[in-house]
Amino acid sequence: MIDEQDELIERVAGALSALPPKNPMATARILAAVRARRAQAPGRFTLMLEWMRQPTFSAASAGLLAAAALVIGFVARPGLVTTVEQLPMAAAAPQTANVPVIAASTDNVVRAVPVPITFDAASAKSVSIVGDFNNWDASAAPLTRFGSTGAWTATVKIMPGRHLYAFMVDGRLVVDPRAPHTKDLDFGGDASVLMVNQP
Amino acid sequence: MKILTGRSASVGAAALIVALSTAGAQQEMPILAIRDVATRNMVMEQLSVAKDHGVPREPLMAKALEGVAKNASSAKIREVMEGLQKRLRKAGDLLAPSPTVDELSAGADALSVGVPEKILKQMRQAAPRRSIAVELGVLTELVARNVPPAKASKLILELMARGATGAQLTAMNSAVQNDVAAGLTPEAALDRHGNGIMSLLPPPPAVSGGNVRPR
Repeated sequence: MIDEQDELIERVAGALSALPPKNPMATARILAAVRARRAQAPGRFTLMLEWMRQPTFSAASAGLLAAAALVIGFVARPGLVTTVEQLPMAAAAPQTANVPVIAASTDNVVRAVPVPITFDAASAKSVSIVGDFNNWDASAAPLTRFGSTGAWTATVKIMPGRHLYAFMVDGRLVVDPRAPHTKDLDFGGDASVLMVNQP
Repeated sequence: MKILTGRSASVGAAALIVALSTAGAQQEMPILAIRDVATRNMVMEQLSVAKDHGVPREPLMAKALEGVAKNASSAKIREVMEGLQKRLRKAGDLLAPSPTVDELSAGADALSVGVPEKILKQMRQAAPRRSIAVELGVLTELVARNVPPAKASKLILELMARGATGAQLTAMNSAVQNDVAAGLTPEAALDRHGNGIMSLLPPPPAVSGGNVRPR
């Protein structure tokens, strides 16, 4: 019996040792893709709405919240209007005479897509992705280091289409060595290109 | 009627605080990223002009901040913003009646690399009720990779007419780029992969109209 077990263990060990060594970069990319999938699952906001639908949320409290919303709408209206105007696919901006208004078609629903991002920089202290999708803001989408490897990963929601981007590595702009480059016709130099599909 | 519980009261209070704190600040936040006062004033002036012309401010704001991130001078940022604003207005005309902000940005990019204006109009006619930001992006990318604009435009329009998906178009674009990197000419690479996708798609639907008469 013991001999049989030893033989089995040896066979399993032999089979496992024949596998290729683990690739940390591949692992990081797979985990980033899994995070992107997870991002498509119901978010915290959805879960919070479910929680609020519990019986303890009475008609009185709903009325109070509605009243609060009205107050917010009145007090903060200018800010809210400009915010909505800024949103992609936003409904029509206020129309005035002789001013062409660029509006979104109502049946043309396009949503941002979670995109897994990876970057290799073993010696970097901070890495973030900047591009036209986040106003080139280095604090908007920081990447996190994956274990002790040189891989940095993040999942960023980006609208479908063509985007120019770069990585901000320790305060310095760096093009993505693994993505296609294009000439930056506006400011010179190179830019990385990201094509995001509509799911 | 139930009395407001602790949970829902706290939710209401939190919602109130969050709404009040974000409503005012959200609009002005990006502009504050521009530290140089003169540049910031110039950008605000450009955004104001854009608003007067019904041009969306997001692409202009993003372009200004790109210039700041790339340490461009205030004069250069102004020049770039003015050029982009013209292209956005042109794209707005060509992609009428109701382009999205993303379509306008994609249209402006397409114009910047040399895609003919009439092509944007034809693409909108081919897909009047859905976003063509991806299609415009692929076309821009092909032209930016030295595929002749007329050839790339013709192929994209034909693929759209046959119902090619955005995924198929971006896959074709990637394949063309790989072939060009491997030494093929851009035209040859486009022929190869364009024909490949075309063979997978049904022929475009026949146009029924006044010219067709029953015998």
